[in-house]
Amino acid sequence: MPDQWIYWLSELSKDHNDIVGKKCANLGELTQAGFHVPPGFALSVVAYDRFMKETEATERVLKILSHFKADAESVADTEKFDILSKEVRSTVESIALPPDMEKTIREYYAELCRQTGKEDLFVATRSAGPVSHPGQYETYLNVSGADDVVKYVRSVWASTFNTRSIIARARLGLKLEYDPIGVAVLTMVDAKAAGVMFSLNPINGDESKVSMEAGFGFGEAVVSGNVNPDRYLVDKITLEIDERVISDKGSEFAYNPETRKMEYKELPADQKKLPCLEDREIIELARLAKKVEAHFGVPQDIEFAVSGSLPFPESIYLVQARPESAWGKKKKESVLGKKTGFELLFEKATTPIKLKLD
Amino acid sequence: MAAPIQFPFADEIELPPEMEGWEEMYAPQRLFSKDREAWEKRHFWYHDKIHAADPLYPLDDIFQEAWQIALSQYNTRVFCIPPAQGVAQRILGCYMYISAVESPPGDVIQKKAELFGKRVPYTFDNYARQWEEWLVKFHKLGHDMEAIHIPKELYEFVPDEDVIPTPKGFTEANVLMENFNDIVNLIIRAWQYHFQYLNLAYLAYLMFVDTSRKLFPGIKEGTIGKMVAGADVSMFRPEEELCRLSRLAMSHRSVAEVLKQKGTAEEKMNILRTTPEGKAWIEEMDKIKNPWFYVSNGSGWFHYEGSWINTMDLPFSYMQSYVERLEKGETIERKLESISEERERIVAEYKALIRSEDDRKTFEDAHRVVRSIYRYAEDHLFWVEHWLHTIWFERIDQFGKILTKHGVLGEPEDIYLFNRFEVPMLLEDLATAWALGEGVPTRGPFWQAKAEKRKKILEAAAKWNPTPAIGVPPEQIAEPFTLMLWGVTTDLVQEWLKGAGMEVGDLDEITGFPSSAGVAEGPARVLKMLADVAKLEPGEIMVAPTTNPSWAPVFTKIKAAVTDIGGLTSHAAIVSREYGLPSVTGTGVATQVIKTGDIIRVDGSTGKVTIVKRV
Repeated sequence: MPDQWIYWLSELSKDHNDIVGKKCANLGELTQAGFHVPPGFALSVVAYDRFMKETEATERVLKILSHFKADAESVADTEKFDILSKEVRSTVESIALPPDMEKTIREYYAELCRQTGKEDLFVATRSAGPVSHPGQYETYLNVSGADDVVKYVRSVWASTFNTRSIIARARLGLKLEYDPIGVAVLTMVDAKAAGVMFSLNPINGDESKVSMEAGFGFGEAVVSGNVNPDRYLVDKITLEIDERVISDKGSEFAYNPETRKMEYKELPADQKKLPCLEDREIIELARLAKKVEAHFGVPQDIEFAVSGSLPFPESIYLVQARPESAWGKKKKESVLGKKTGFELLFEKATTPIKLKLD
Repeated sequence: MAAPIQFPFADEIELPPEMEGWEEMYAPQRLFSKDREAWEKRHFWYHDKIHAADPLYPLDDIFQEAWQIALSQYNTRVFCIPPAQGVAQRILGCYMYISAVESPPGDVIQKKAELFGKRVPYTFDNYARQWEEWLVKFHKLGHDMEAIHIPKELYEFVPDEDVIPTPKGFTEANVLMENFNDIVNLIIRAWQYHFQYLNLAYLAYLMFVDTSRKLFPGIKEGTIGKMVAGADVSMFRPEEELCRLSRLAMSHRSVAEVLKQKGTAEEKMNILRTTPEGKAWIEEMDKIKNPWFYVSNGSGWFHYEGSWINTMDLPFSYMQSYVERLEKGETIERKLESISEERERIVAEYKALIRSEDDRKTFEDAHRVVRSIYRYAEDHLFWVEHWLHTIWFERIDQFGKILTKHGVLGEPEDIYLFNRFEVPMLLEDLATAWALGEGVPTRGPFWQAKAEKRKKILEAAAKWNPTPAIGVPPEQIAEPFTLMLWGVTTDLVQEWLKGAGMEVGDLDEITGFPSSAGVAEGPARVLKMLADVAKLEPGEIMVAPTTNPSWAPVFTKIKAAVTDIGGLTSHAAIVSREYGLPSVTGTGVATQVIKTGDIIRVDGSTGKVTIVKRV
């Protein structure tokens, strides 16, 4: 394992999957391939490892665990795990980072602010596991200022001790005190709209389409299924929008400067049914999906965000890309059955013609 | 299941009293009849708006008669498409209804399959050569028709040279009768040629649609159209020539200035003839007039539509707008190369998405098959419906003139009020009176009274609203022509049924084929009679029964196109895609529901047309 524990996204590629997690590795790969990705940096599993080992964290976690007994299969014992989780998390969150690590994170954040020309830049701190833990660990959005960045990096690490994760580890017979993950620190896109697209039609596996779902505001709303998204189907080759379903989107997921939190906000009645993307944005996104798929060589599942403050097409960001899992792995069987054009013609010509109701 | 809803049978339909006697105008075999009732009631008939949106003039009906035989025989007796039979016609109240004939018995299908397997692959493999031969033979037929002698009048006495040294043996009156028969034979022969490859071209297209759909379930009809379209087809040549002439005019400023002036084509040509540059330009135009100005102002099916060559104001108005656009620095030509390149790109990219090697090979082969013959679908249209029909109408006008000159008809165009079996009677009446000698009457007053009555019947028919269909709709429609050309699908028939009992004026939204993507909103221009093209203003949305090649320049003016009828590859759909305009085709009722000036929204992706505001 390398000693390096922090990386700019632009230094990363698919090869770094095991040390910074898939999310960061893929974003790095996208950045290197020239896609428009929010700038950021990644803390590898080495960083987690150092934090846990160089501070008194591991010891203190083990100490709490030493008195702990509960059956992971028992629903009744869930409460015990819950109490344990709270204790471990608050303990971990109270431990200071090794000073050189804290200093470096502050430097990287300062550099990110400099690059984007923004003081106290809003970033997201997200978990990035080398193996997928979808939705398992915490994500903190709209983190601003070096103090909070350091604080929430540690909160992400501490989230490896959330109740369901430790129950999951207990069930699998894994160590409870340790689950190294990466952390992504990504610039927030001030999204006016965001969503997910597949570089195929997930309904029937048609690879000549890009399907897209999007809502107003930040992407979490669509990913979590909390709003009815607009849906689009775009032909990958002609880049024509074949289908569009504009939904009643109800609310948007947005930053509330007063509470300093991300919140669902009811949309004004006349805006609920407005399309959240412009046609040119849809077409540009489809073009990008096609390119990302070509880069990785298999159908992709892509998250995107459209900035409300940048001009088109700079406004469009890719915030995640991974292989599409349902259809993408299937080996395509022949559907035409090795026929010649004449054989197909003959087949068509012999299709019975029904003309009557009875 | 709910009881099947159906349209009325032919004998249940009541016609307005002013139309009494309409049956006389058409040959008996063309009407619904008691003696064929059982067979007729087993079939579903629908109004053919593509070929006969308007009430049919008896002589114009000759093309319909000709296609009934020609289309059908290629399915049933020539290329023997196994379960397919012909498309039958019946005239009811001056409107034409058609029906795909039920399949033949199993043993017949079997026999046809063997012949199909032998004849069709051979035709596809040799199509390139056969197309060259087709063109030669078709041109010869057209030139034969042009060469037919039609006397301007019957001479008082046969001239000396026809008697001495040896009597010629026959007279101009005899020639007149013979030559009408000849020209009828030529047009019917031309229609035999018209269908020589069309059924196969459509079949190949439908095969390719199926193949593409199996691989790409959501592929759009329009995209498949783009994969097979030929760019340099004759159908587009007239418009290309107008572009070329407009550019030529730009290179001689004085010619461009004349083209831009107000006035008729005749006035402009008179001014041009006074200068050397103008003369040179007119000479250049004269060189290409035949065949490229032999393009109908309408579909080519009706004598009253006229064509560019005899309504020169139309091509001149197109050239005027081209010159104005060139002055603004705009490009007026369709980008032919880019259409071909686009086609190749689309095919290559779809092919690259096919992950199974075997499927990729099959797809390639299917594409090769359709490409080998599909161009015919676009090319034959110019040569038959435009070039040859223009010659036909010009020749028939000559017969009308001589009949009028000798008092048999009141006006030359009244000849179209008599069917092709009746015109020989008029000619014989004339020849007989002429032969009998000075002062012998024809039955002119009788024919003229008949003509007047028929005009009134046709006027009444135009006001009458014919039912969209007759009889019990089929569960499924699969006859290639029905789908491809008429765009009559199972769903569409159900839509018609919904509208059958409803005042169409009440509809605010209608549905058709989403045939070219995009959304446009603007004022509608309803072009019901096909000769109204010139009224169109820039930025309007065209609403028409159907469109055809001579309308191509119109597509540079409009925002979107909506048609009543138009199948999977109708002209409006093809051209709209090439010009990037939204279009919805095959709505069934657009020209009835929408009024000129209504603000409508056309969504070419969903096939919906909405009336936003009525006038």
